[in-house]
Amino acid sequence: MQLTIITDLNKCVGCKSCQVSCKEHNTSGAFGPVPDNAPYQDPDGMWWNRIVTMESGEFPNTSVMYLPKACMHCYDAPCVPVCPTGASYKRDDNGVVLIDYDTCIGCQLCMWACPYGVREFDEEEGVVKKCTLCIDRLEDESLPDHDRQPACVQSCPTHARTFGDLDDPTSEVSRLVQERQGFGLLPELGARPSVHYLPRRPAPSPVDRETLDEALKERY
Amino acid sequence: MRPAPQLIVLTIGQGLAGGLAVAFAALWSIHPTSATVADTLVLMALAAAGIGGIASVFHMHHMQAARYILRRLKTSWLSREALTTAWFGGALAVLAVWTLFIPEKGTGYLVWLWLTVALGLLAMWVTAMLYATIPAVLSWHTPVTVLSLLSVGLLSGGAAAGIAAPFDAPPYQVFVVALMVLAVWTLLVKGLHWRHFHEAHGRLRAETGTGLPFAPYRLQDTGTTKPPYRTQTQVAPIIPDHMRHTATATVVVLMVLAPVLFLILTLTAHVRAWSIIAAIAVLVGAVAERWLFFADATHSSRVFFVDESRHPARVGTVQTAARRAVKRTQPPTVSQ
Repeated sequence: MQLTIITDLNKCVGCKSCQVSCKEHNTSGAFGPVPDNAPYQDPDGMWWNRIVTMESGEFPNTSVMYLPKACMHCYDAPCVPVCPTGASYKRDDNGVVLIDYDTCIGCQLCMWACPYGVREFDEEEGVVKKCTLCIDRLEDESLPDHDRQPACVQSCPTHARTFGDLDDPTSEVSRLVQERQGFGLLPELGARPSVHYLPRRPAPSPVDRETLDEALKERY
Repeated sequence: MRPAPQLIVLTIGQGLAGGLAVAFAALWSIHPTSATVADTLVLMALAAAGIGGIASVFHMHHMQAARYILRRLKTSWLSREALTTAWFGGALAVLAVWTLFIPEKGTGYLVWLWLTVALGLLAMWVTAMLYATIPAVLSWHTPVTVLSLLSVGLLSGGAAAGIAAPFDAPPYQVFVVALMVLAVWTLLVKGLHWRHFHEAHGRLRAETGTGLPFAPYRLQDTGTTKPPYRTQTQVAPIIPDHMRHTATATVVVLMVLAPVLFLILTLTAHVRAWSIIAAIAVLVGAVAERWLFFADATHSSRVFFVDESRHPARVGTVQTAARRAVKRTQPPTVSQ
């Protein structure tokens, strides 16, 4: 089993509700806190899920894309073998990559090894932290079924994020990846991320009125 | 990448200790040195290894977990580094005791000396492999990284050994010439390494990093009030060109050109002060080299925090906002 999140880049509107709900849940969750530095003066803090906004293309044919970026829970997670104490590990039963704070020495080598820059260092506790796929929610049997999913998935207002088992060919996430050419980031670095993104549909080519009229005339 | 002072001290200290051990073993094997020279060189190596070891302790931010550090010897180069560096330090300590307190220095001493050298080289190699085997740090992921760290370590240790090495003994001339050859070799290796660093800047792939179908790409927002430079040291802003050029020139002058000149002066004038100056120059040059090694390294995740080169954003990024703020403070200019 490999639990993962699929994000449809066509649906993401960059509202950052996933980013905020991640911080809200995890700061008081089992793997928290997600601390801030000087929150009331010059805020700078830890986020396990960051939405990067990028613009592409040349004016006037430009578009803006929002890229939610959290732990990719890679199949060949490069952060795991480099950890000298075994604090960084990948669970066999569901593929989630986690950190044991009790055995982490805070050397930050895993932060160098992660190609995606999703691990963050907690200066207060001296350990590295990152997205847990809200494993504390997934395994909390006291929660109703619809709540047993990552906070970012549950809070997405456009349903851009889908949660499921990528190793199950009948699951929704597998179907989406297969049918809509889901892709992982930085495949050239060989980490085999389980988190996939559904590519944006290309924008239609700009056509002026005269060209359109000519085309219609030729056709009809 | 933000350079960590403790890592600079650790890697330089370990290289210095290894280089001193190699230099001492070479000098001793050709012709046993006097007790004073032997004591000085071994104590210098031990001090360098000790300083490196103390620095490594400061790199662990959660000391309670330090007892688990050898758990992943099978996969982690950091586990292996801890083990091999401890072996080297232990062997060096035994060598120091033997050198200082046991007068008998026959074959057994020579064997232990070379065993210490082998362990020192092993520790240096393992440390270098730690950096060279991280694919995400595009600048380091090359065998040249291993050559670079070994060469700088041997050069700095050799130059430091020159402080105490005997002038009048025949091996000294050979030793100095070998040191000069090593300096030139290190310059060649560093040249290759810097070329790789330069190419790594251009290997950030926005196409695969973001999956956007249309180039060029411009970063509008890193997602939060500030980019995560505080919590993610590996994406610290790239150093400006003038700083890179200054550091590179410092390395070339202090670690290679000046020491070669001073070593020639030492050979011709037989004044020990020149060899001391040469050693200090190499050490300062090595610090500059190691600072540049960390500060100029390109991490793959930087692709999420920079614009594609030659197509900078006109809005939104922290850098452009800072530039605008600077411009606002300057007096307005009259347009043509």
